[in-house]
Amino acid sequence: MAVVPYERIPFAGTVPSPQKENEGMITGNWRTRRPIVDSEKCVKCQTCWINCPDACVNLNDDKPINFNLKYCKGCGICAEVCPAGAITLVPELDFEE
Amino acid sequence: MKTNIKRMSGCVATANAVKLANVDVICSYPIRPYTGIMSELARMVADGELDAEFVLGEGEHGQLSVVYGASASGARAFTGSSGVGVTYAMEVYSPISGERLPLQMAIADRTLDPPGDFGSEHTDALCCRDQGWIQGWASSPQEALDLTLMYYRIGEDPRVLLPQYACQDGYFVSHILGDVDIPSQEQVDAFLPPYKNHHVLDTKDPVIIGPQMEPEMGPGTQYQRHLAVEGMYKVFEEVHEEFADVFGRKYDPWLEEYMTDDAESVIFLQGGHAETAKNVAKHLRNLGEKVGVVRLRTFRPFPTKQVRETLSKFKVVGVVDNSVNFGISCGAGVLLTEVRAALYNNDKKVETVGFVAGLGGAMITHDEFYKMFDVLKNVAKTGKNEKQSYWLPFEL
Repeated sequence: MAVVPYERIPFAGTVPSPQKENEGMITGNWRTRRPIVDSEKCVKCQTCWINCPDACVNLNDDKPINFNLKYCKGCGICAEVCPAGAITLVPELDFEE
Repeated sequence: MKTNIKRMSGCVATANAVKLANVDVICSYPIRPYTGIMSELARMVADGELDAEFVLGEGEHGQLSVVYGASASGARAFTGSSGVGVTYAMEVYSPISGERLPLQMAIADRTLDPPGDFGSEHTDALCCRDQGWIQGWASSPQEALDLTLMYYRIGEDPRVLLPQYACQDGYFVSHILGDVDIPSQEQVDAFLPPYKNHHVLDTKDPVIIGPQMEPEMGPGTQYQRHLAVEGMYKVFEEVHEEFADVFGRKYDPWLEEYMTDDAESVIFLQGGHAETAKNVAKHLRNLGEKVGVVRLRTFRPFPTKQVRETLSKFKVVGVVDNSVNFGISCGAGVLLTEVRAALYNNDKKVETVGFVAGLGGAMITHDEFYKMFDVLKNVAKTGKNEKQSYWLPFEL
């Protein structure tokens, strides 16, 4: 990795906010456990969406909620706060990909 | 020039400066002795003299986090602390300077625990000296007021954009009354333009302040901050000249010299104890001794060049450290280390002796300064400087 010349670093490191996803800092590969939703149990209360620290919960009107696995670090807060017990954390090694 | 002199403590003088600087957000958490500043500011806000958000922090870490956010949103922000409160907020200092937010923190010194000694000692503020903040000590209530105004001006300069620790000795300055010439609002407004930063938090134009970044961007980010600090020397000098024009009080930005003409030995120190040292130097001058006092006004950025040039005029310099730096070179304090580094590779050899004094809030008495000058005189006479440092009062 080559050191970036200081003239090219934005002032104080401050950058325009990406509106949706920051391609420069993909964090999904930090995850060791993946959240899985049981759509039978999910009541769509949106508690997980409120609590997710990385805004990785996608809400859909007609489909069950799902997670943006490009950024989800697997912290497990969603499973902890889910009042319906609909989210479980499954070890990443249990998945093919 | 018209004056408006009132008698007040260092704390009240600082509060008056904060009011004149028309700050937008203040965050407080009580710890003595600095808390005298906040009680006066709380009164000003309650009485409608100052229109500012007065937020109660849940601790010092919270205090610094509140003003950090306030400054990022474009508000002129003020906070402060003492002793272990200063060190409790340690985590937040580097992000604030790294993100170039020129907020101000007043520190009225207090000894770090243990024991629960509330006396003054510079250790608290000096623990944070290398965080990219401006730092210097006032030696009187008047200077406490002036530092607050000058530091906002220097810190908010678009070439600088760095936070500031405006320090004063606990009790010796913060709680002892002195005559203070309070400037008019017109003068302050002419000197201190509104705060504008490079970027502000704004929902219409969102930015990420302090984003995660890849390690290869780290060196450049730190180098930017280094350049900002190194670029301050010029700004300090400009602002001090402008301050003299507007307020009629002229300070050298780096060093105050007292009776140093043809002096052979001088005491070098910072903060309120300089007043005692000056008294002793004056008396010794009357007895025909060639002594003087040099008071450091700005610790960060450290005026290496000015210290070298000034101290080269003397044979011996006694450096008084009012802090503990256990295990430091020569067994003294950080001020001695900095002075020695500034004098290294100098053409003229200047002997330096360290004195650690006034710890835990003890007075540095006249008697102790006489003894220090005695040591310096002896080193000047014999050229021998075997014991490099002394802990007072036990070793002298």
